[in-house]
Amino acid sequence: MSERYDAIVVGAGPAGSAAALTMAQNNISVLLLERGQYPGSKNMYGGNIYSLPTAQIIPAFWEKAPWERKIVTEEIWFLNRDSAVKAGFTGLRFGKAPYNKFSALRPKFDSWFANEAVRAGAILRCNALAIDLIWDKIGLVAKKVDGIILDSGEEIRADVVVLAEGALAFLAQKAGLRKPLMAHSYTHYVKQVFGLPREKLESRFNLEKDEGTAIGMVGFATAGMIGKGGLWTNKETIGISTGGYLSQMVTKGLSPLHLLNRLTSHPLIKRLLEDAELLEYKSHMVPKGGYQKIPALIDHGIMVCGDAAMMISGRRGTDLAMLSGKAAGESVAEAHAKGSYTKDILQTYENKINHSFFLQDIRNGKASKLYYEHHPDSDYLLTKLINELAYKFFSVELKSNTELMQDMKEIVINLQPMDKTLKDLYHGIFNWGVF
Amino acid sequence: MDNDLQRKNEENPLNFVKIVPDDQPHIWILNDNLCLTECENKPCTYVCPSRVYYWEDQSIKILHTRCIECGACIWGCPYENINWNYPRGGYGICYQY
Repeated sequence: MSERYDAIVVGAGPAGSAAALTMAQNNISVLLLERGQYPGSKNMYGGNIYSLPTAQIIPAFWEKAPWERKIVTEEIWFLNRDSAVKAGFTGLRFGKAPYNKFSALRPKFDSWFANEAVRAGAILRCNALAIDLIWDKIGLVAKKVDGIILDSGEEIRADVVVLAEGALAFLAQKAGLRKPLMAHSYTHYVKQVFGLPREKLESRFNLEKDEGTAIGMVGFATAGMIGKGGLWTNKETIGISTGGYLSQMVTKGLSPLHLLNRLTSHPLIKRLLEDAELLEYKSHMVPKGGYQKIPALIDHGIMVCGDAAMMISGRRGTDLAMLSGKAAGESVAEAHAKGSYTKDILQTYENKINHSFFLQDIRNGKASKLYYEHHPDSDYLLTKLINELAYKFFSVELKSNTELMQDMKEIVINLQPMDKTLKDLYHGIFNWGVF
Repeated sequence: MDNDLQRKNEENPLNFVKIVPDDQPHIWILNDNLCLTECENKPCTYVCPSRVYYWEDQSIKILHTRCIECGACIWGCPYENINWNYPRGGYGICYQY
């Protein structure tokens, strides 16, 4: 005798747990499946969760969630071989409720988040990999998803299946919702986590207790590839990552591990990691297909959310996963009340996503993505340019100011045609924007 | 960059990951001949962050227990010649941080 639920959620990451929590709060029987030993055991992200979106799912979550530091300082570094032009902001208001961003470790945070769904009534099952969907006929030709099959062969039935399976989205592809992507539709990141005693970390990054900093890096960090480096401070650990478009890694012959080691050996990064002990190495991909590659979000008895649905905009992904998971959960609750999970009933989910602020961002992001496909060198050239300008600007020389200005003008003109520099800058500002 | 190169060859990223090894492989090359005759650069050998793939005796060898499940090889392979699946539930990478 196989079990039967109202809903099965595949994947206990931010999207899946938000969906399961929302459903459980609406008295829907929901099974939350996680292929890892615990939620978060397979995940990697930049390093920050965002307060406002997360509070949409769990109000005042910061009072109970296992966060590491509240982020009050954010910087972007244009990193060159032996120099960096830095822009930054410290806002102490971000250190008080309702806060802005927190650093958090995924195994801890995801386990807590999934447990919130369990406390609301969801059933969590770990070590459970769903490898296929069960389809039932609902007419002459129409089929409806009616459950999943685990890797053990076990079948579990449910009226609706919510796929929150993450970036690779095998089931969404199997269901025909997502088309296979190409290497240029993914960014590939690697990360290392270093341990450093609390007092040392706080004095090194100029932080008071519980305050944190996040640094984004372009230029040297990606060795001429379009991508980003990042550094995040946790309680007693520092996360540092780098990566970029997989397609560029392939054509440029870049090894991500080598890239990361190159970054951590940079003289300005090395000093931040001095005496720190390497604790973990991880890797992950982000589906960056943009608006055109977003899958069909629904079919009869099935929905897709989070990374699997490519709900990614700039650096934002974890929070959009939660918001899309919540929207999916709400639509399941509405469908449950109507007693039907056909495509036209689940349409409410698609409508919610289509009217969300983040889909607008994803839609607007496509011009930038296209630009970078054709101008993969733009970040590198800009970083080189502003570092050379800065060296000139800050150098004390035996020249008049007029001569110095002339020198700087020449640096700009000699780099590449002026209009290309301006275009690079225009797209760069959008691309670096959300860190 | 001599130092870098030395590090590249000596480092073992797997000292810093916890993997629950599955005796059943989850990665296969679909057509060995394609790697030999068509694939010039063999990107799987460098885009894989944990060096699951290496070239030996005219074919790609796979060490599936080194896999940290990012999926880069699936789309990094220019010939879509890698059949990659998740390891069974509970096996594989198990991140702590």
